[in-house]
Amino acid sequence: MTYLIALLPLILVCATAVAVMLGIAWQRHHASTVLTAVVGLNLALLSLVAVHQVAPFETLLVAVDGLAIFGAVLVLVSTLACATLAHAYLEHYRGPREEFYLLLLCAAAGGLVLVSSRHMATLFFGLELLSMPLYGMLAYAFHERRSLEAGIKYLVLSAAATAFLLFGMALAYAQTGRLDLAGLTAGLGEGGGAWGLAGAGLILVGLGFKLSLVPFHLWTPDVYEGGPGPAATFLASASKVAVVIVLLRLVIESPAFAHVGVHQILAVLAFASMLIGNLLALTQANLKRLLGYSSIAHFGYLLVALVVAEGLAVETAAVYLVMYVVTTLGAFGVVTLVSSRDISGDAAALHHYRGLFWRRPYLTAVLTVALLSLAGIPFTAGFIGKFYIVALGVEAGRWWLVGGLIVGSAIGLYYYLRVMVTLYLVEPGMQRHDAPHDWGTRAGGVVVLGLAALVVLLGVYPTPIIEWAAALGVAHG
Amino acid sequence: MEIAFYLSGLVAVLATLGVISNTNPVHALLYLIVSLIAVALVFFSLGAPFAGALEIIVYAGAIMVLFVFVVMMLNLGEAVVAQERAWLRPRTWLGPALLAGVLLVTLVGTLWRGDIGLVIEGETLTAKAVGTLLFGPWLLIVELAAILLLAALVTASHVGRLRPPEKPPTDRESGARKEAS
Repeated sequence: MTYLIALLPLILVCATAVAVMLGIAWQRHHASTVLTAVVGLNLALLSLVAVHQVAPFETLLVAVDGLAIFGAVLVLVSTLACATLAHAYLEHYRGPREEFYLLLLCAAAGGLVLVSSRHMATLFFGLELLSMPLYGMLAYAFHERRSLEAGIKYLVLSAAATAFLLFGMALAYAQTGRLDLAGLTAGLGEGGGAWGLAGAGLILVGLGFKLSLVPFHLWTPDVYEGGPGPAATFLASASKVAVVIVLLRLVIESPAFAHVGVHQILAVLAFASMLIGNLLALTQANLKRLLGYSSIAHFGYLLVALVVAEGLAVETAAVYLVMYVVTTLGAFGVVTLVSSRDISGDAAALHHYRGLFWRRPYLTAVLTVALLSLAGIPFTAGFIGKFYIVALGVEAGRWWLVGGLIVGSAIGLYYYLRVMVTLYLVEPGMQRHDAPHDWGTRAGGVVVLGLAALVVLLGVYPTPIIEWAAALGVAHG
Repeated sequence: MEIAFYLSGLVAVLATLGVISNTNPVHALLYLIVSLIAVALVFFSLGAPFAGALEIIVYAGAIMVLFVFVVMMLNLGEAVVAQERAWLRPRTWLGPALLAGVLLVTLVGTLWRGDIGLVIEGETLTAKAVGTLLFGPWLLIVELAAILLLAALVTASHVGRLRPPEKPPTDRESGARKEAS
């Protein structure tokens, strides 16, 4: 019984996916499909309260503890936001719309597995279940060249990354003969040994690809640009959160990841991601590409917490993740809403946003708040997250990383401000891309407005999140 | 048993090299079948006959034959007969046949020694053991695999649609235009 309650969110999400599938088979209806998906996700979110009562709960394959619940909340909230945004986005899509929600629910199930995995098998299956539907979601508008290109690019590169991951697991298994995290930890002993270290490195490559850390980042801008808005939103939020949480678990618990060499590699990856991500974003004239590069930089910042991996590391990572997810959902949500009436690809080029303020003042305000938060301006959520990272880096004496973060933020400010200036320029001519008139009263609009309010609220009053994260830090630190 | 393991491992590596270095898809697939059978033999020698049998039935049997048929069907026509004749030259089939011969010798040699339950170390994993493990503690994985296949199927059926969605009517932007003007 405890087992069932602990897995209740996963069961509910999978059941919803099956229900959506049966609904499609019976009769296609966009609104009721969305309703089923949203109700299922909300029930899963509610069931986390029951899960909280039985946590921590461990089996051979999954560990339902504080970190897992935290990750599940973020994944489910991002999926909910994506589902509502997809409703607005797909309304004008000609062709089958309902499969998108089925894929979205499957991907959410993968995220839920991943955040609670404590076994290489669940790690692998979670990661695959997260990526596999994403191929379909990214290539959803497959009659458009860019969308198809995004899907195929992600499919091929993701398969290569998965091969690295599997090889890493095989090496770790060769040394210890175990696949569960506890067994690996016991088998590898102090420092890990040569095979264990090689395995850890290869696993890091596989996960680094999903997080688009710098040497493995080449797919990010194309996929973000080509994929439909809601798919790119999911990729930027839920999928990354789940992978970060699993990486956090590995770094904290596995001795092979606690090795000095692995830490140095992590530090180099973090430093490179911060600088290169921000530098590449400088010259972008496309908002989705720009957000893609900026997400590379943000995961560079987040890696600082994993490099330090002691003291407040878990708390910092948790706070930063919340801030990042809320902000990213807001920014991508606006892009999705603006693109939702468009028929030939997403509105992503910066000139589409020229003078948006004079037509859609509130929507522009949301995007402005999100961009300010990404830049880390005080009184927004992003500032709190960045403050935590800097504090952690300074306390651990990682001056290179702190320096990289400061330089990166300075560069970041420039291109975020460039976008903001574009939004408020007076636009003389006609404008092709626009959100629907009544966007503010639709579900997607309400979600975006709520996210913007949350960004400001968390920036001014972050105490609840910090307390939650601190509790995680005590449990896992 | 170690000899069988290393021999079939060597065959697997050589056959896989043949797969990636071959320019003709059918020849490459022929090598791939040999490689899969060699891997199956590796499984047998490690004491996992169930995995070995599955490897042969599912991979070398079902999937590979499907591959070969599809590849062959793709280039039907008059030229195909001449092509087939050209393929029957010894230098084409000698490589895979040689590797398969090594596998056969290994297999027969192992069987000659009697005891079929012989493994390198540990105990033989029977189908029953695999089944109780898979539907006991690993049930979650089986269910996840099911969802994964569902997602893959939906993706494939969606992207594989023959007809792209109809072109939308041209007057769909009128709302935005009015607003802007």
